[in-house]
Amino acid sequence: MSADFSFKSTYAPAPVRRYNVGDKVTVKRAFPPGHRRTPQYIRGKQGVIERICGAYPNPEELAYGFDGKPEKVLYRVRFAQSHVWPGYAGPANDVIEMEVYEHWLEPVKG
Amino acid sequence: MTNPTHDYYARSHHDHDHAHDHDHDDHKVPNPANEHDNGPPGEYEIMSRAMQELLEQKGLITAEQVAKRMEQFDEEFPYRGAQIVARAWTDPAYKQRLLDDGRAACAEAGVMLEAERLIAVENTPAVHNVIVCTLCSCYPRSLLGMPPTWYKSRNYRSRVVFEPRTVLREFGTVLPDSVTVRVHDSNADMRYLVVPMRPAGTDGWSIERLAGLISRDMLVGVTVPKLPA
Amino acid sequence: MSDTTKLPSDIGGEHAGPVDTLDHGMRHWERQANAFRSVVQMTKLTCTDELRRAAEELGSRYKDMEYFEITTSAMRTVLLEKGVFTEQELQAKMAEVRARFNVPDEMESPVKKGASMVQK
Repeated sequence: MSADFSFKSTYAPAPVRRYNVGDKVTVKRAFPPGHRRTPQYIRGKQGVIERICGAYPNPEELAYGFDGKPEKVLYRVRFAQSHVWPGYAGPANDVIEMEVYEHWLEPVKG
Repeated sequence: MTNPTHDYYARSHHDHDHAHDHDHDDHKVPNPANEHDNGPPGEYEIMSRAMQELLEQKGLITAEQVAKRMEQFDEEFPYRGAQIVARAWTDPAYKQRLLDDGRAACAEAGVMLEAERLIAVENTPAVHNVIVCTLCSCYPRSLLGMPPTWYKSRNYRSRVVFEPRTVLREFGTVLPDSVTVRVHDSNADMRYLVVPMRPAGTDGWSIERLAGLISRDMLVGVTVPKLPA
Repeated sequence: MSDTTKLPSDIGGEHAGPVDTLDHGMRHWERQANAFRSVVQMTKLTCTDELRRAAEELGSRYKDMEYFEITTSAMRTVLLEKGVFTEQELQAKMAEVRARFNVPDEMESPVKKGASMVQK
């Protein structure tokens, strides 16, 4: 028994994916029961793909003892604080970023 | 025999109902020494110990493994992050590799992270980074050790996302509006390391000496390194 | 509608008091609980996501519990679910551990010593 040193890189490959860096996306405004890694405060908010982390077992399945397959693509998304929090007190260029799985994202038209 | 009670434990301990008065307040010491806890054990302490022993009996784990982990968390993991950052301060090409792929760059420096996929983010004169996990307390433990009490607290987790500048001020870190504050909610599978700015006046310093300027809080982004006055 | 499905752990954006910026360290039992959890995860008996889910299922109890109380409770839930031990086994072992604390000088309690030095 030892720690998992089987992967060398921070990033996993995700050749098949829906979004690329710079794409505008909206986080789904949905409230399904159960284990979710998308905080409620970011649901319905629009942001921009900051980087692609790779494809990983779906944590919403792992949480219940399943294997998380098929893997889901994980992105980091950047949001303007002034958009996420109406009445945000800081300057307009402040941002918040977080990881969002592909099935929680929708494309922004236009 | 010393009494290692510290404020936090004394306070929470007094909230419990128990038969004996142990008079903790007379023995407060400032450091959170943790060789022993005082007072009768809580229910979760007994539960955790019982689960460990059950798994030992079933041959799934050993007491030695748990003891070894305690040692690593105490003596090994908390000292790794400062070494990585000090190295990045002295070697721009290494810093770039750290920012490009945190896990690979740590391995290159002989720091084998465990489960962590590490994203390093750099503070600059224009951008200040701060890390939180609002949903639990995700943290790069094999790089920084255990998260501090405040990182796990409700007040930090709930507030730093929507009023980061106010929270940073509570840590004594005041940022002008010209600096972009970039909050990272470590909510899923990545873990985060802030690479602070190297203080001016440290030209020619060794990695060891630079590492001495770096505290854990700086690597989460709530404080910034400064030269001692 | 969001309130009915909001998990007790999902607290980002809530108003709360000032941050106590001092690190209070960890009590001995918390160090044991942390190391134990870490070893169990290395055995692949469970994973972070399962423990998170079991913590969230604490519901309204979550906000009144300390961090390692939450993680310990989650570990119990998951190990029971997986049949690693039964509730009866756990209760019996907890009674045994509890009895071990009942020595005249609590500082001499064997349970308080290092994790590897438990007298069996």
